[in-house]
Amino acid sequence: MKQTNIILCGIGGEGLVLLSNIIGEACRLAGENVISGEMHGLAQRSGSVIVHMRIGDEVLSPLIPPGEADMIVSLEVMEALRYLHYLKPGGTVITNRRLVHPPGETHDLVMGNVKKYVEYDEVLDAIKGADADVIEIKALSLAKKAGEVRAQNVVLAGALSNALEDKISRDSFLQAIRGMVPEKAVDDNVKAFELGEKA
Amino acid sequence: MSFKDVIDEEERDAYMLCNEAIVRAALEADVQLVSFYPGAPQTEILDNFEKASSKYDFKIEVAANEKVALETVAGAAMLGKRTLTSMKSVGTNVASDALYTLAYTGLNGGCLCLIADDPHAHSSQSEQDGRWFGLTAYLPMLEPSTPKEAMEMVKKGFELSEEFGTLVLIRTTTRVNHQSGIVPLGKIKRTPFEKVSWKEMKRPYTSVGELARKGKQDMLERMENIREKMAKSSLNRVEYFDGKELLDKGGDKEKFGIITAGVAHSYTVEALARLELPAKILKLGVINPMPEETIIDFCDGLDKVVVVEELSPYMEDVVRRSVKDTEIYGKRTGHFSEALEYDIPSVLNGLSEIADIEPPFDYKEYCKKMKKLAEILPQRLPVFCAGCPHRATFWALRQSVGDPDNVFFANDIGCYSMMCLPPVEWSDTLLCMGASMGVAAGVQYTAKEKTIAVVGDSTFFHAALPGIVNLVHNEDDVTIFVLDNAVTAMTGQQSHPGNEKKAGGREGKKLDIKAVLEGIGIEKIYDIYSYEVKDNVPMIKKALEHEGVSAVISHGECALYHFRNYRHAGGKLVPYYIDLDKCESVHACVLNFMCPAISVIPDEDGKARIHQDICVGCGVCSKLCPKGAIKSTATMHGGDNKPVVTVEDYEKYIEKKEAEE
Repeated sequence: MKQTNIILCGIGGEGLVLLSNIIGEACRLAGENVISGEMHGLAQRSGSVIVHMRIGDEVLSPLIPPGEADMIVSLEVMEALRYLHYLKPGGTVITNRRLVHPPGETHDLVMGNVKKYVEYDEVLDAIKGADADVIEIKALSLAKKAGEVRAQNVVLAGALSNALEDKISRDSFLQAIRGMVPEKAVDDNVKAFELGEKA
Repeated sequence: MSFKDVIDEEERDAYMLCNEAIVRAALEADVQLVSFYPGAPQTEILDNFEKASSKYDFKIEVAANEKVALETVAGAAMLGKRTLTSMKSVGTNVASDALYTLAYTGLNGGCLCLIADDPHAHSSQSEQDGRWFGLTAYLPMLEPSTPKEAMEMVKKGFELSEEFGTLVLIRTTTRVNHQSGIVPLGKIKRTPFEKVSWKEMKRPYTSVGELARKGKQDMLERMENIREKMAKSSLNRVEYFDGKELLDKGGDKEKFGIITAGVAHSYTVEALARLELPAKILKLGVINPMPEETIIDFCDGLDKVVVVEELSPYMEDVVRRSVKDTEIYGKRTGHFSEALEYDIPSVLNGLSEIADIEPPFDYKEYCKKMKKLAEILPQRLPVFCAGCPHRATFWALRQSVGDPDNVFFANDIGCYSMMCLPPVEWSDTLLCMGASMGVAAGVQYTAKEKTIAVVGDSTFFHAALPGIVNLVHNEDDVTIFVLDNAVTAMTGQQSHPGNEKKAGGREGKKLDIKAVLEGIGIEKIYDIYSYEVKDNVPMIKKALEHEGVSAVISHGECALYHFRNYRHAGGKLVPYYIDLDKCESVHACVLNFMCPAISVIPDEDGKARIHQDICVGCGVCSKLCPKGAIKSTATMHGGDNKPVVTVEDYEKYIEKKEAEE
């Protein structure tokens, strides 16, 4: 099948919808058919969020079947593992090098319901245990370097663009970013994208 | 998805969310008046119309509830205007009283009502199937599968509505509303909004007794005419999947057929591709009246026909009734479920069993294997945002009642619904908008414990008022809590009658909730300010001790709304921090509080820490800490010149400083 399926995931409020819009618009500019399935509503309330992005002429439906995602792009490492069942065998996980403990986990820890916090390396090992190629991106420090701390999502867009270069040109991504982020934040976001590309 | 694309006049392609495409289509169709109550998965329709109202000349309201919204668009359609409302599945229950009678009276202008169902109950209290409204109310109903089809159907819906003088329903589901794709935009050519003369188009829209009996006859006749007209509609189409690709004709010798609609159509075609299974497909866009002749023709010559649709066997039962001599498969044969949303694997598994082919991939087994790896993960459920006033209010409420088992807690619909989720799980009922008040009335007669009913400000105006009136009139013994956070927070901070803004950010008349409660006749009303957690406990206790109806109004703006406005006004967020020398790991800031900004440091004996990038500086946790270990970073650097949390707080802070000096 000539389609590319990408799971985008993270925590509500991290700019996942903007990331999916940048990819979607970049696809359109590059002349690729694209469909995405998003969840809104509870998305701002620190919950787990997932967006399905599907690129290719024959895609019709908004949900990627388990085992068929070429890539998972995650703004937080636990969420990459949570949706790992979507990844095809040998697929790629691009994850932010960052772990955020859910408030419920802290509550359980304090109550003694769990003995310890889940740690970053533990999560990463579980992902690697699924025969996945893992690319870790320090998106927070790169976004800070770019001058826009909220641009972690765009850093990941940069990292993802390398994997999509056969389908979507760099210019399409840059044009999409310029059209989608607030005018005064364009330069910082372009910088964030470039740092993501090189990471 | 970019809002710029929604309002740009030009013809071109755009990548758009379906809800945006719906707004775009209505603007192209020259819609003149829209009204909504927000609710997932259709809120972005309201949001985009609000934004578009700054450029285009149409009337817009955020209505008090869906019934008012429908009546509003119907009223304007009586004067020949093109109008549109949309509502979430369960919102239609509220609107249905007007809906059923509007089908009798008919309308003059093009009038659309979009019903957005939520299979899987992602953000709703049930998986209600809105298709039955079309059938039982005798109203035509269209169902799109994609953003592109949604655009076409909005435009065709207006034409159909005008041609037959009836309200037209469009039914979507979450996976259609929240699907983005490439849509072709038409040109936007608007006519300016103008008042028209009622007397020139006057006719009665009345229905009772003899008039209703006559209206029913008219309605039945209208539906027959629509049935005839829509029988040949291009919205219903026959396709052929040849085992590799989808064609718009062919398959004359094919014996295997599928009837489907909505997003299930998309899953079906992709499932067939994975099975390399040829099939003729009847894709329905008109789901009321169901095109029975088309269905009979389609099934003629087929051995097996599978009906693929989410939720109830709405189409399947029509097919079973109309078609003889063909084996019909679907939910009634146990191959498909009436519960949950579908996806490619669920459709593929059903089809492979019916067609007796081995599935190419065991999705279930793969999921099981991979999910095993994820077993180490804690759940990440939605929680109150950092700075949310509800967190503070519920902390004080919990302190006031002691053991949650001491009260019956009737909860309602809004962000505060999240109290029922783990690990807190504190709510005894959660039914529908405003239900807390009616449930409380029954409970207070029968339970030995005190009854409390909690409702948000938007829900208060939406559906709770009759319940409160009822409590007061019957002299019931209930303490009600109105959580006034200024906006309809859950759906993205839209305005409501208690906000000073109306649709599109225009100045409106703010209704005072306290004045409403006083006017209804509640004598014991306590105003509390949610962040003042410690002061609030004795106030709440007093309210609970009162026999009869007492009310607590908890004031505190939605944190997302408040701190966004605050930042736009030039305010700076000043987070709090933990003084590790003072923290003794008491965890008062964690237990039953669960702020996303607070976690603990494992190697520091579980001392708390505050994430500076998440904390908005509400300061509530500092009030809970018995050790005084939580402090504002404003004090950290002797920051007398920095604002503390809000401009108002800063003023108070300065006043206090001056008083000390």
